[in-house]
Amino acid sequence: MRHLVPEFEKLKERYPAGFEASLVLPCLRRIQEDRGFVAEEDIVGLVDYLGVPRIQVEEVLSYYTMLRRKPIGRFHLQACRNIACSMRGAEGVVGYLRKRLGIGPGETTPDGRFTLSVVECLGSCGTAPVVMVNEAYHEDMSLEKLDRLVDELAAAGEGK
Amino acid sequence: MPRLTIDGREIEAPAGQTVMDAARAAGIFIPYFCWHPQLSVPGNCRICVVGVEDKGGEWIDIACNMPVSEGMVVHTNSEGVRQRRKDTLQFITLNHPVDCGICDKAGECTLQDYHYEYNGERSLSRDAKNHETKHHALSPRIVLDNERCIQCTRCVRFTREVSKSNGLGMQNRADHSLVRAVEDGSFANDPYSDNVIDLCPVGALLSPSFLHKARVWYLKPTASVCPGCARGCTVNLWHRRPEWRLRAPDMRAQNESIDRVTPLENPAVNGPWICNKGRDLAKLLGRARAEGAMLKGRAAELQGAIAMARSLIAAARKPVALVSSWGSNEELAAFRAAFGERLDARVKADHAPEPGEVVEDAILIRADKNPNTAGAKAIFGDAPPDIPKDADLVLVWGEGLDFNRIPAGAKIVYLNAWLQPENGHADVFIPISIQTERSGHYTNFAGVTSAFAKCFPKPAQAADAETLFASLALAPGGGP
Repeated sequence: MRHLVPEFEKLKERYPAGFEASLVLPCLRRIQEDRGFVAEEDIVGLVDYLGVPRIQVEEVLSYYTMLRRKPIGRFHLQACRNIACSMRGAEGVVGYLRKRLGIGPGETTPDGRFTLSVVECLGSCGTAPVVMVNEAYHEDMSLEKLDRLVDELAAAGEGK
Repeated sequence: MPRLTIDGREIEAPAGQTVMDAARAAGIFIPYFCWHPQLSVPGNCRICVVGVEDKGGEWIDIACNMPVSEGMVVHTNSEGVRQRRKDTLQFITLNHPVDCGICDKAGECTLQDYHYEYNGERSLSRDAKNHETKHHALSPRIVLDNERCIQCTRCVRFTREVSKSNGLGMQNRADHSLVRAVEDGSFANDPYSDNVIDLCPVGALLSPSFLHKARVWYLKPTASVCPGCARGCTVNLWHRRPEWRLRAPDMRAQNESIDRVTPLENPAVNGPWICNKGRDLAKLLGRARAEGAMLKGRAAELQGAIAMARSLIAAARKPVALVSSWGSNEELAAFRAAFGERLDARVKADHAPEPGEVVEDAILIRADKNPNTAGAKAIFGDAPPDIPKDADLVLVWGEGLDFNRIPAGAKIVYLNAWLQPENGHADVFIPISIQTERSGHYTNFAGVTSAFAKCFPKPAQAADAETLFASLALAPGGGP
């Protein structure tokens, strides 16, 4: 987390003095982007850097489900199950991913390649059903498209 | 100052004051869960709603966060307000288990009171209630019943604003929200943590030492003063009501013991708080008691021991007394009245800080662990508790003296309440009563005097110190 401090200093300029607690959220986002999750040493470092009580960092971490305290697989598949996606077959999407990957939501494949999550609205209802892979949106997901996507990801994973 | 009307009464309130504070100052009650006079205003429970007249109608808002304004007309109990409170209570009890039958808070729970006062209906929800763990240890001293919590955040704000341990927080969101202790364990080290039990408006935060021990309506509070340090916080000692005495094999343990300790609000000394040591007075005052009078370690009749002590004192050429800083002002005055200048009296510290105890802080805890050092020194002066080498009699009142400091050859008369090894080393030992067995006053470090009342009868073998001093000072052979 230490190497991000110059970036955090830039962020700090956007807030009035005394609002260090407001920096907890953007700092945690940046840490997760950097490491893939928020480690214990990041929490300790952030508490030390911002001078906020540790409980405020813990509260933010537990409030936002997208913040993680444990590492996940290389490809994070997030399937939306909100109303628009559900009406356009999201349950089939989740069911297919379960079968194809052999894991349930919240789990990671033993080879560490895939993590499956079921999430609330991703804000792309017009192209439902939607699956996110890491930061990328994959829209209008039919089972065929899903199959191709997993094949491509698996191949990319092997290449590494 | 703005003038406003609350429930038809004209009130003048300082500008900037909230409707809640103005109403309370005028003696008008508005219900609240999350609001507390000593904490910040989060405005999250919504039960303190009041109606404000406006253009022939009424708008409804929370009283705790609404500043007074000139000409405001407030109704605390209009039909609209009553309906809003009813609806709010439906939400507050949405996931509340209503397990009052097994809840320690029943009888002094504000949720229970407000439900009877403002709602009285069963839940309208057709959904199953969320279930959570009912015994989550926030620290070794506090258990949390997650189901009962109504998320008022009083406990969280207490640790941020008053005790400053930042030990608690709300984790997760919405109806999964839970009060949790911070992972670094700072809540367990918060010497004021037990105040969250009183702050909790429902039965979510509980003390394991009192859990399922008694229904509160079988107990009664007796006003007392915590002897744990020189702050002298006023407390309520809760014990079994005499009319609800238990018929148990060990009557004294069941009926004459302190079941719990709560703060007795006192702006001059401790406000509405006390520290955890004060909560544990049952341990401090429930220690094993001296079983009877002794002469050189051998059991003796109380009257015989008094007569022996009296003749030793009368025969002494240079008698010295070490006076207890746990004695009440009345006892200290009785000691002075009985012996006058005849004894060279000095005030000793009965208790020193225990290992691991918080010695002193900027909130309440004082380094002097005795309740009445100031009261004793006001009578006996500030001389250090040294014993002159040529003393031929030492009268020790109260525990905590290292008997090795007494010159060899000096006679020892020892007045103490507790069962301790020194008792047997005295020439005369006389057991005396403790704070809960008499009434009196302590004067704290700042000179504020507080009263404590008697909770229990004194055991037969113990002497009452005030009368004991008078009989010890009589000439030998005089009546008791």
